[in-house]
Amino acid sequence: MSTTVADRRPASLRLALGAFLVFWLILAAFPFLWTLWGSFKVEGDFFSRADWMNAVSGTLTEAETGAPFTGDGYYGAWVQEEFWRAGLNTVIVTVSVVVISLTFGTLGGYALSRSPYRYAFWLLIIALVFRAMPPITLVSGYLLPFFEWNLWGHLPTTIIVLVAINQPFTLWMLTSFFRNIPKDLDESAMVDGCSRFQAFRHVIIPVMWPGVITTGLFSFLLAYNDFAVTSMLLSRENLTMVPKIESFLGTTQTRGNVMFAVASVVSVTAPLFILVMFFQRQIVSGLTAGAVKG
Amino acid sequence: MADIQLQNLSKRWGTFVGVQTMNLHIADGEFLVLLGPSGCGKTTTMRMIAGLEDTTEGDILIGGARVNDLEPKDRDIAMVFQSYGLYPTMTVYENIRFPLKVRGIPQAEHHERVMRASATVELDDFLQRKPAALSGGQRQRVALARAIVRKPKVFLMDEPLSNLDAKLRVSTRAQIKNLHHELKTTTIYVTHDQIEAMTLADRVVVMNKGAVQQVGTPLDIYDRPANTFVAGFIGSPAMNLIEGRMTGGVFEADRVRIPGFGGIADGPVTLGFRAEDARIADTGEIAAPVYSMELLGDASMATVQAGGALVAIKAAKDFMAQIGQPIAAHVPADICHLFDAATGQRIERP
Ligand SMILES: Nc1ncnc2c1ncn2[C@@H]1O[C@H](COP(=O)(O)OP(=O)(O)OP(=O)(O)O)[C@@H](O)[C@H]1O
Ligand SMILES: [Mg+2]
Repeated sequence: MSTTVADRRPASLRLALGAFLVFWLILAAFPFLWTLWGSFKVEGDFFSRADWMNAVSGTLTEAETGAPFTGDGYYGAWVQEEFWRAGLNTVIVTVSVVVISLTFGTLGGYALSRSPYRYAFWLLIIALVFRAMPPITLVSGYLLPFFEWNLWGHLPTTIIVLVAINQPFTLWMLTSFFRNIPKDLDESAMVDGCSRFQAFRHVIIPVMWPGVITTGLFSFLLAYNDFAVTSMLLSRENLTMVPKIESFLGTTQTRGNVMFAVASVVSVTAPLFILVMFFQRQIVSGLTAGAVKG
Repeated sequence: MADIQLQNLSKRWGTFVGVQTMNLHIADGEFLVLLGPSGCGKTTTMRMIAGLEDTTEGDILIGGARVNDLEPKDRDIAMVFQSYGLYPTMTVYENIRFPLKVRGIPQAEHHERVMRASATVELDDFLQRKPAALSGGQRQRVALARAIVRKPKVFLMDEPLSNLDAKLRVSTRAQIKNLHHELKTTTIYVTHDQIEAMTLADRVVVMNKGAVQQVGTPLDIYDRPANTFVAGFIGSPAMNLIEGRMTGGVFEADRVRIPGFGGIADGPVTLGFRAEDARIADTGEIAAPVYSMELLGDASMATVQAGGALVAIKAAKDFMAQIGQPIAAHVPADICHLFDAATGQRIERP
């Protein structure tokens, strides 16, 4: 990276920018750090009615477990309540959703971006309309037929519904990525001896890679964070992580364990950080795409 | 090795005509240049031959076989795109090698062939760079190298030299000419540059608004333009065109009177002659005040207003005249071309 004219800012501006960044970072990171800290305490401390400082000092945690920090929340959630089962389900659901959405998204997006016909435009508009609807409106319509056909409660059903909800978005995003890739690339590849598909695979996809990763990540987040669909369509024994957390909170009839929920919230968040850090380069170049013009 | 036939080839988008009923036979091994102003359909013609654009009407035959329905890859052509079309994720070396790879040419030959192609266009220093790190001229050379790395039936080159500097353009032009002499591959070459067209072409096709205006050798086109468009397009400066009247073998227009056209019917005609064929004289067929003077280096160009047009006449480089000063030019009938005033078509002289 070389410094360009645009990088040379006056000191005061740099200072203000730095201060703002720090402020924003604290604002964004604090809730998570607080939860992380609290997940190693007992409920009495973290949700103390007497004094919120208890969550910091951990008075009750010391008294109950003999140490300032405890892994009880994690043990309870993962082992007692079998949170790992929900974790496994989440992996199955997210991986399937990402793979299926990306496969249809790249192929369909490529076709739409290269189509000279107007129907391509209308297909995309319809896709946008479906994407704009709250998922819950779709799900409630699914419930009855799924019960009738005995499809309710299974992972594949959820996967299909999530793909259906996510597909319009992937299609949009990937189509616009593909549109940014000049047509000459396909054309020179085809003259050089590629079939349409080979041109797509050998020439377009390598250029598209950041776009595919970025779209994949967004699809992943949709599936991973989904609550509306998974909580409605999965049986209690077969939940993914997010609805499982909710089940820890208990209902009016059953007493839940809030600390299990707190521990699993942390468990659910950690992989996201790792993922974003791992793919950050691709994501950045994906988000700034358009810079692919040879 | 193959000849190309275009039979009634047309391309329309809705009502817009890109290429209009083109008929052309390009002989095996011929170097054909498509020449014409921007937007006249040169690239479109080429893309139809390559199979990148569907034809609206007509047939394309390569080596006698109809290729209209063949995929680009099955037409065995190589093309240099006007916009290069390089693969941004591959190095220059990989770019040049790509056609060999996808066409399943034995691995063992790749390296030698790539090196030979890159040497031809002087790219050896850049082989490990990505296209983004190249200048426009270097990119163009990569595109050229990628085309010549294979021995296809046909080369299609869309303004392959447009971004090179003057010196490199001359040397690459010579290389292309030499390469063609060596490979004898049928080549269609698009250019704006008349000098390129004149030096490279076996035959030149002049196009305008999608229609072929004239097909002929460079000399043909220069010496016997088929219509006023070609006359006004070829040459630098282009041919002077004066609208006037023929009466009894004498051409007359404002400040112009040229006798000696026996056997030409009376009526309105357009007369053309080249600046370098005319000569400044004390008295002559054209007598008018100087409109402007330009020094060209090896000569100077006097422009006068005559017959309702600006008429250029080449003069010796030491010829000096003030603007407004009356001069005369010797324009004998035998250097003149006549065109039909209505259709613009050339009128053959008896
Ligand atoms: N996809 C298209 N739809 C509609 N019109 C088109 C399309 N492609 C090209 N044209 C039109 O066809 C005409 C011929 O275009 P073409 O690219 O063949 O010109 P050209 O002779 O190569 O010009 P240049 O020398 O500027 O490259 C132009 O007027 C152009 O606007
Ligand atoms: Mg063009």
